[in-house]
Amino acid sequence: MSIRDESIGDRIGTFGREAIRNGWTRERFVLLGLLGLVLVSLGPPFQVYLFTEFLIIALFALAFNLLYGYTGLLSFGHAMFYAGGSYGLAIVLRDLQPHIADTIGSGIAPLVTFVIGGLIAVVGVLLLAIPIGWLSVRLEEIYFALITLAFGMLVYSFIIQNPQGLTNGTDGIIVTLGITEIGGTELRLGDRQTYYFLTLAVVLPSIYAIWRIVHSPFGTICKSIRESPDRAAALGVNVTHHRWMTFIVSAVFVAISGVLIAGLANVASPYHSHWTTSAIPVIATVIGGATYFSGPIVGAFVYLYVRWGISRYPVLEAYWEFFFGVMLIVVVLYFKGGAAGGLVLLQAWLLDVRTAYERGGTSEAWAFVRESAAEKQRNLSARLSNLGRSEPSEGAER
Amino acid sequence: MTTVLKTEELRKQFGDLVAVDDVSLEIGGEEITSIIGPNGAGKTTFYNLLTGVLEPSSGSIWLGKEGDLREITDDPPHEVARNGLSRSYQITNIFEGLTVRENVQVARITHEGRTFDFRSRAAKDEELNEDVDELLALTNLTELAETPCETLSHGEKRNVEIALALAIEPTVFLLDEPTAGMNPTETREIVSLIRELDEDIDATFVVTEHNMDVVTDISDRIVVLAEGAVLADGEPREVLSDERVTEAYLGSEA
Amino acid sequence: MTAVLAFVSVSDLVIGLSLGSRLFLIAVGLSLIFGVLGVLNFAHGAFYMIGAYVALVVTNQVVDNFWLAVIVGGLAVGVIGVLIEVGTIRPLYERLDGELDQLIVTFGFVLVIHEAVRFIWGSQPYSMDAPASLAFSVGIAGSTFSAYRLFVIVAAFVVMISLWIFITRTYFGSLVRGTSSDREMASMLGVDVPRLYTAVFFLGSFLTGLGGALAAPLQSVSPALGDQVIIDAFIIVVIGGLGSLSGAFVGAMFVGILQSIGPQFIAAGHIAIPFLAMVLVLLFRPEGLFGGIGE
Repeated sequence: MSIRDESIGDRIGTFGREAIRNGWTRERFVLLGLLGLVLVSLGPPFQVYLFTEFLIIALFALAFNLLYGYTGLLSFGHAMFYAGGSYGLAIVLRDLQPHIADTIGSGIAPLVTFVIGGLIAVVGVLLLAIPIGWLSVRLEEIYFALITLAFGMLVYSFIIQNPQGLTNGTDGIIVTLGITEIGGTELRLGDRQTYYFLTLAVVLPSIYAIWRIVHSPFGTICKSIRESPDRAAALGVNVTHHRWMTFIVSAVFVAISGVLIAGLANVASPYHSHWTTSAIPVIATVIGGATYFSGPIVGAFVYLYVRWGISRYPVLEAYWEFFFGVMLIVVVLYFKGGAAGGLVLLQAWLLDVRTAYERGGTSEAWAFVRESAAEKQRNLSARLSNLGRSEPSEGAER
Repeated sequence: MTTVLKTEELRKQFGDLVAVDDVSLEIGGEEITSIIGPNGAGKTTFYNLLTGVLEPSSGSIWLGKEGDLREITDDPPHEVARNGLSRSYQITNIFEGLTVRENVQVARITHEGRTFDFRSRAAKDEELNEDVDELLALTNLTELAETPCETLSHGEKRNVEIALALAIEPTVFLLDEPTAGMNPTETREIVSLIRELDEDIDATFVVTEHNMDVVTDISDRIVVLAEGAVLADGEPREVLSDERVTEAYLGSEA
Repeated sequence: MTAVLAFVSVSDLVIGLSLGSRLFLIAVGLSLIFGVLGVLNFAHGAFYMIGAYVALVVTNQVVDNFWLAVIVGGLAVGVIGVLIEVGTIRPLYERLDGELDQLIVTFGFVLVIHEAVRFIWGSQPYSMDAPASLAFSVGIAGSTFSAYRLFVIVAAFVVMISLWIFITRTYFGSLVRGTSSDREMASMLGVDVPRLYTAVFFLGSFLTGLGGALAAPLQSVSPALGDQVIIDAFIIVVIGGLGSLSGAFVGAMFVGILQSIGPQFIAAGHIAIPFLAMVLVLLFRPEGLFGGIGE
């Protein structure tokens, strides 16, 4: 691998200088991002593992948010599709690997089985999501949250019950990825670095696909349903049908993330189907900001890295959920934009600081910083003194 | 007059309460028809029946162009809309979180049957945005195209409401209290907009309105509903001088 | 049917009823709060758990009086409920998607309370002694039961009946019923809706705190308790009808008995059946098998 070459430093330097000289084009940003992603793979194994998990949870949350942030339906049962992906892969690996190896030769079999297992898992989840979605979208709001919770726990009970030894009950199924031989080189799929690149190769195109969906005419209709279902219907949108389709698309991408987590964790566990797993994308999305495309990604990052950061302080480590509980409450009450919204505001604020700096140098910029801090404080104290007082209802104003 | 919208003995009961009492109407042609009546006369229920939000207890509803009427009695709201009936709401009902352009895009995407189009990008779709731009120009919204709707004034939101309704190229356009909550300037603007649109667009306008100045100003025909039934129907002058109409109004307001 | 019943021992039935009674005490407050406020309180199971811990603390560290501990447990949870309602739920009533936001906020409290309990009391399970006055056994049809277990069943009936009288026969009850059926109308008629909401939230929280304290001698008290019971409570209120008191009662008894006799008949299926029932009720009778508030 030439990436480890000495020249890498020089290359980055050249890239940086050129970027500064010629401005930040989009291509350069993408290139820099990809470079960063490659650099991650060179980190210590645990960091590679953590980042891989981040990518998977980010995809899980993004897919969940197609339904929540974009279409206005809060699912508390998406773990069933996550587990569906995991178990689909695990069952194919366990039961079909020998047959596949017999057919195509043992060298390339593990990789082929992984791909086939992933595809079968996704198709399986698709077949599950079609009827469950059709039934669930008949309900809205709290009732939708409850019925998805119930369906999710039904799947959980099914997995625990271990019908005909299919799911191996509470123990789950061990996932072994094996060693692939391509043209004499051995490739251990389970290797942290290899699996990281494999995950990248699946997650990045998936994120791009979701981005395209959100910005397509289909996605525009989703947003209209979120804003006002009856208005959308009065314009000719078949709201129930569109919600159903979105539900299925969402489930398919969740299944992909479920396949990936089984390979990373080396197990398909019933825990993946429990409602507490359904809560993960909810937490990540809300904290990250459901109204931004990047919200779930930022939220997944916060979810995993704040947790990792907390784990460095043993006193706090055991209580990491506490902080996410507080974050959820604060974000929903005071800052629906979440962390992504915060970043957007921060960027705007920094631009303002720069404008002030360009206008009157350091003193002007400093004055602006103090001014805006004071304003924040005023807003906060006004809000605190309003706390507990009920706000005037819209109905009363009419 | 070619009929585009017809109801036959349309009736809606909530328990013992008869909200719409066997209303038979034929609406059509070039004219602007106003439906008026005191509060509780059944105007809103009537609109909800026409648009498929409520199911009638009995009777039928027919809709279509050039005398080619189809029954829409049991159609759900989205089918009614696809068949050519469009509406605006008394309490502005638009997609507040979206920009003005995105709002109109929603209507065009539906109208063109592209709700399952994943390939194009709505923001860059030329074909789509050409139509949207045209509609924005028609409703004086061109300059506000990229503005999020939640930041618009009440009058501007009304224009978005109208742009949405027109974007699906309706045969019949129902306006529900278009001047509700507006100041006199905004009212004048919306009235002249409705007039212009009636000239420019091949749709039949039906208006409910409580501002009698507006009613007399824009209507070619007035239908008076009282206690769910048609009390009077005809040219404005004729209807407004009808004693029963005066009585219905004064009786309810006294 | 008789053939099936023959297999059900009295002992299973009593254990089922006592499970159902505990579940009823959680579910009834959840249902009441949803029926009047439209808030689905995800933290309701966590409230139940707090009730149990508070009762433990009172008996172990303050005074050794079981009945006082139960009351203090209920009141403490009621007060916590009021603080949460006023501080974090009230600002969300007027939001467009307020119901979902409230669900998420109360879920935030699930995490917060769970960790706070672990921080204060640790992860180990505690057990609590039944009051000395009820520390004897009773024989029914050849099986023996602790008197306390039977007492909890009676207590659930008493709560059910007194709540029913409270809702249907008192002035406050009529305000509650009126507000739950038409909030705007109640507001126009001069009902102080925000205050009423807080009062109902207090009552619902108080009941679950009371339930947690009463049930403490019958189960091990650990930080996992909240997560366990909240899902059961959701099932019960959905089956009985969100907002229905009698529905909560029948739903709780159904789930309780199913949990006690189910394993013998349907092997592992008894885990799935409540969720299946929940799905079916949501699809075919989303208003629940029983009517609204006060029925």
